[in-house]
Amino acid sequence: MLVPVKSGGENLSILGFVLTMLLALVLHVLPGHVGRGPDLVPALPLITLFIWSVRQPWYVSPPVLLLVGVLQDLIEGSSMGGWSLAYLVAFAVFRVREVADAGHKVGPLSLRFTLMVLAAFGIAWAVNSFAVGAPIAPGSLITEVLLTILVFPLFAWVFARCKEYGAFS
Amino acid sequence: MAQRQNSWRRRDERVRFSSLLFVVCLLFSGILIYLDRPSSRPGVFADLRAGSNDIAVFVLDMAVHPFRGLANIGSWWRRQSELAEENRALRMQVAEVHAWRATALSLQERNARYREALNLQGATAQKRISAWIVADRSNVFVRSSLIGAGAREGVRTGYPVVSVYGLVGRAVEVGRNSSRILLLTDINSRVAVMADRSNARALLVGDNTDFPRLEYLGDEPDLQEGDRIITSGDDNVMLRGLPVGQAIRDRDGRWRVALFNHTAPIDLVWIWSFEPVADPETDPVPVKFSMTKRAG
Repeated sequence: MLVPVKSGGENLSILGFVLTMLLALVLHVLPGHVGRGPDLVPALPLITLFIWSVRQPWYVSPPVLLLVGVLQDLIEGSSMGGWSLAYLVAFAVFRVREVADAGHKVGPLSLRFTLMVLAAFGIAWAVNSFAVGAPIAPGSLITEVLLTILVFPLFAWVFARCKEYGAFS
Repeated sequence: MAQRQNSWRRRDERVRFSSLLFVVCLLFSGILIYLDRPSSRPGVFADLRAGSNDIAVFVLDMAVHPFRGLANIGSWWRRQSELAEENRALRMQVAEVHAWRATALSLQERNARYREALNLQGATAQKRISAWIVADRSNVFVRSSLIGAGAREGVRTGYPVVSVYGLVGRAVEVGRNSSRILLLTDINSRVAVMADRSNARALLVGDNTDFPRLEYLGDEPDLQEGDRIITSGDDNVMLRGLPVGQAIRDRDGRWRVALFNHTAPIDLVWIWSFEPVADPETDPVPVKFSMTKRAG
């Protein structure tokens, strides 16, 4: 069935996607210990990409994943291409394929997200280890993976409420 | 390209993107990874990164201000009750510091005379540049910080960066208004150090943990837990004598360093303008040996 796309709403939605992506990238690299905050933060860009890939799947296309990955690498100071490759492969394998306006249940989504996080971080770890020529200690990587998986339901819930009230739809 | 019309979309379709586009993006990422390795990064990539730092520092500098303010609210109230006591203690310390200052100036002058007498010419720091840390991105892959000072303020690649506690790292990417600091804990960081007590030499090697390793210590190093570790200047990339941390042993018995700059969060840093000793010329000036004839 073909349905018309509301151009005004579409523009607002694209703006929402761009702004939330930029916010996620900025918050992800703000000083972890401003004051006495934690050194590790959840992978906010990955969470944001995943949630948008469920709500507006067409936005999260391969060139967008490439661009977000390169931006993240540039801001973080890691080797360019690492996060792009990780996002491209992880989303190709684990992204939600159904375009469903009815929404998805948090449980199966969390499971899918967990697999995506494991794949993305695994690839990023391998690529960065290759770039520096030595295996990188996995201690803080595991912590960040666990943190990301644990906070995901909270972000998904907030996003679902926003969707309910018309924002980001 | 996404299989999607401009103003119409299928509600019941599945999300599919062009395989060719996916493969092109994948290849592009692979090429970037290969070219942008820290050990063999082309100049154009280094310039691109320095330029992107300049843009990022502008955004992040604005974004970090509210967080700094929020983080300081709690401690500000706690500090009010301690201020009177601290003020009294500080007055006493200032009086003591005055006496030490006089001693330091006297020793500095004496040291300068000795150096002059011995004709010692080592690498020296010339001036220091103050800067705020804008983004401290110590993630699982990279340990680096972004500071709000660049080539315009006089920062150059390789300059050492210190905080009030000790050495933090060195500048690796310098843009017009910003620089990226490679922290001592980063896996690419290598700094020649020594124990203050025994002069035992070692190489401080980052491994992306909070406690970098001491390598090349020899079989029986003259090192004790708690020894103060400072830069030795042997690598000609750092000044000699910058405080680094304390020697500790990990669970496997390997020597590591508890960094002084992990004592507290770092906001403000200084970049030392440092000119290393130049390599000898490829076509050196010939040395004339004078032949003296012995009498008899």
